Amino acid sequence: MKHPFLLALVALALTSTAPLPAAEAAAAPARSAWVMHFDSDWKIASGLPEKVLLIGLQGLANRSEPRLYIVHAADFPWEITGPLKDFYERKHGVKFTALQTADEALTQFARYAKGYVVWDPAVMPTMIVAFTIAGLEDAVVVTPALIPLAEQHGLRKIDDLRGRYDGKTDAQIYTDAKARYWARCSHDKLMLMGGHRGDIRIPGIADWGVREKMFFHDLSANPLHAEELALEKQFFSELNPGGTIFGWHVYGKDTEEQHTTLISTYGLKMEGLQSLPNLSFNCQFKFTPGFKFTNQHHVAPGAQLVAEPKVYLAFVQSDGIGIGVWTKPGRGRMPLAWGAIMGWVHFSPAALEYFHESATPGDYFIGGLSGPAYMYPNHIPADRFPGLMKEAADLMKVLDETIFEIMDNSAADGNVGNTDLSKETVDRYYANFPDVAGFINGYGPARTRDLRDGRPLLSYDYYIDPRRPREEVTADLNELIALNAKRPYFCLVHVRESNDVNSLVEVIKGLRGPVEVVPLDTFMNLAAGNKTYTTRYQDPDEPKHFKGYR
Amino acid sequence: MHPLRHLILLLLLPLAAFAAAPIEGRWRLDRTRSTALDGWHEWDLVISLTGTQVGLQHDMKWGQTRFSATNTVDTAHPVTLPAFFRVEQRHMALYPAKGGTTPVRAAWLDDGRTLRVEADTPIEISQGQAVMRIYAEYRLIEGGQELQLIELHSSRPRPLIYQFTKVPAEAAKK
Repeated sequence: MKHPFLLALVALALTSTAPLPAAEAAAAPARSAWVMHFDSDWKIASGLPEKVLLIGLQGLANRSEPRLYIVHAADFPWEITGPLKDFYERKHGVKFTALQTADEALTQFARYAKGYVVWDPAVMPTMIVAFTIAGLEDAVVVTPALIPLAEQHGLRKIDDLRGRYDGKTDAQIYTDAKARYWARCSHDKLMLMGGHRGDIRIPGIADWGVREKMFFHDLSANPLHAEELALEKQFFSELNPGGTIFGWHVYGKDTEEQHTTLISTYGLKMEGLQSLPNLSFNCQFKFTPGFKFTNQHHVAPGAQLVAEPKVYLAFVQSDGIGIGVWTKPGRGRMPLAWGAIMGWVHFSPAALEYFHESATPGDYFIGGLSGPAYMYPNHIPADRFPGLMKEAADLMKVLDETIFEIMDNSAADGNVGNTDLSKETVDRYYANFPDVAGFINGYGPARTRDLRDGRPLLSYDYYIDPRRPREEVTADLNELIALNAKRPYFCLVHVRESNDVNSLVEVIKGLRGPVEVVPLDTFMNLAAGNKTYTTRYQDPDEPKHFKGYR
Repeated sequence: MHPLRHLILLLLLPLAAFAAAPIEGRWRLDRTRSTALDGWHEWDLVISLTGTQVGLQHDMKWGQTRFSATNTVDTAHPVTLPAFFRVEQRHMALYPAKGGTTPVRAAWLDDGRTLRVEADTPIEISQGQAVMRIYAEYRLIEGGQELQLIELHSSRPRPLIYQFTKVPAEAAKK
């Protein structure tokens, strides 16, 4: 049997009747926790205020123990909150009691708060500043309409932001907040409470920021907003080396590219998104006893496969595994590599264990993104690079990963344009990851390619936009296959989050010529053995959409 | 022909030359009736005629990015363009080859209602370089308010079909 994927399927069939390993069979000690189910209403005018109260309360309740977990609606960006709750019940023996209302939640958890802080829905930065105060003062975060509810539970006013920031710019607001609170906040973690503008906000990660006493802000990294940018630079320069920015940039105010570039220039790490829920709960669980990550490798160490004269395709899903298609039907029908969030080893280990436990033989995990978290390597200071990459390499070892994914959209135009790595950056990766089997690069298509010591660096030749009609996706891939006429042709494809696996299977059926879809590690090994691609780096003459901050 | 009528015709011919041909002007892509664009949100095609030269100006938009490029072809003889612009599917790793030149041939067909453009354009691919042969017809639809662009690639199994509607002259000036 030649096809490694089929081999893996057979391997699964053989092992499926085997008894559970002793460590997994051992019952975890039972513990109690509470769960709330959120709906999809995040509108400022309706559902948001109560959710803000509950998420802030979650951060306080989960300070010393994992007490409150939130299951989100089916259309929430992070799809795993339901399956992960099941995992906690099954593998950690957690007995959840459902709480239906904010009143019930305060009855249970108001004891972990010392009072409340009032924010004004008409001045949205007050919500963000209130989260900072919540973490420092153990306060729940309420709108004026929710004050009576807080007081019913014995909570008294700690602060009231109504009027304090009326008519002030964001730069003025956060300058004032910095003077008041920053010195007492964590200097290892900073909360970028961005995301949606307009009539909704989804501050799902705020529990984590409250628990960890982070400073919350939504400053812009857009050079057009010079005062905000200058203030944000102050924060970044005052963070401890290796610090992490949690959350996400503000849609419409700046771009992901601008913010990630800025963060990277300080050698800091980005962990998204602003909607990421339950970290205050998840961080308090370790891997189950005896659990060890075992990636489903398809290539034996030291082996060199021989490519046939055909087209090899590998598909990668990298957008933070939990916001992808993991829970959607179809996973396992084709080999797919997944970019798990490596930092979750530290603050959401159960989620990583859940993914590994539920992996099919077609699922293969890779490290990334660009470092121990999301970064743009062309901008990481040279003196910070080795330390950060050592951290990443160590995480890859824990996760049994051998392929590392890189992305640098600092000069790109969204997901298109210049997404390449300089030669200097490529040199650094090869020097700092001596044990990886290869690197992949890009988000949209890119053209950085290399092969050193039998370890390829390949960029995506194609990016599948989930909105693109499948017949055009098929035609696009067929066009790439026709133009790259040498065989073997190695075509690396990035699958955007929310692409449906079943539709990808149909795309593959429409491809012309001798085509084989292989697991990513097989693909990289084959590409190492027959270099039909060019060596190429970022060309200094190529236009850059965004030139960075220096 | 009566000598006087001959004279009048001779006098009017230069005037006719200054009147805009129906295919000239600004045409806006109707995305709902066209092959899906990838990496571009908007596309205006501005066609201008100067003698036998035809200017094909592409005004593209993607998010906040605006980009404009013009291919000037000649229906009297082939031309070689140093920066031939191809409306790419931008999520494919196919790029104009650096320093590449593109031979382009153009001709009027169907009594001047169809412009045929043929180009052999060098493309940078992950394996190096390849030539994409492009055959395009710009067809003016009866009534003069719609334009259809049919584009065939030597490398693509499906045609790209784009429908444009005329932007009124006053609106086009804004």
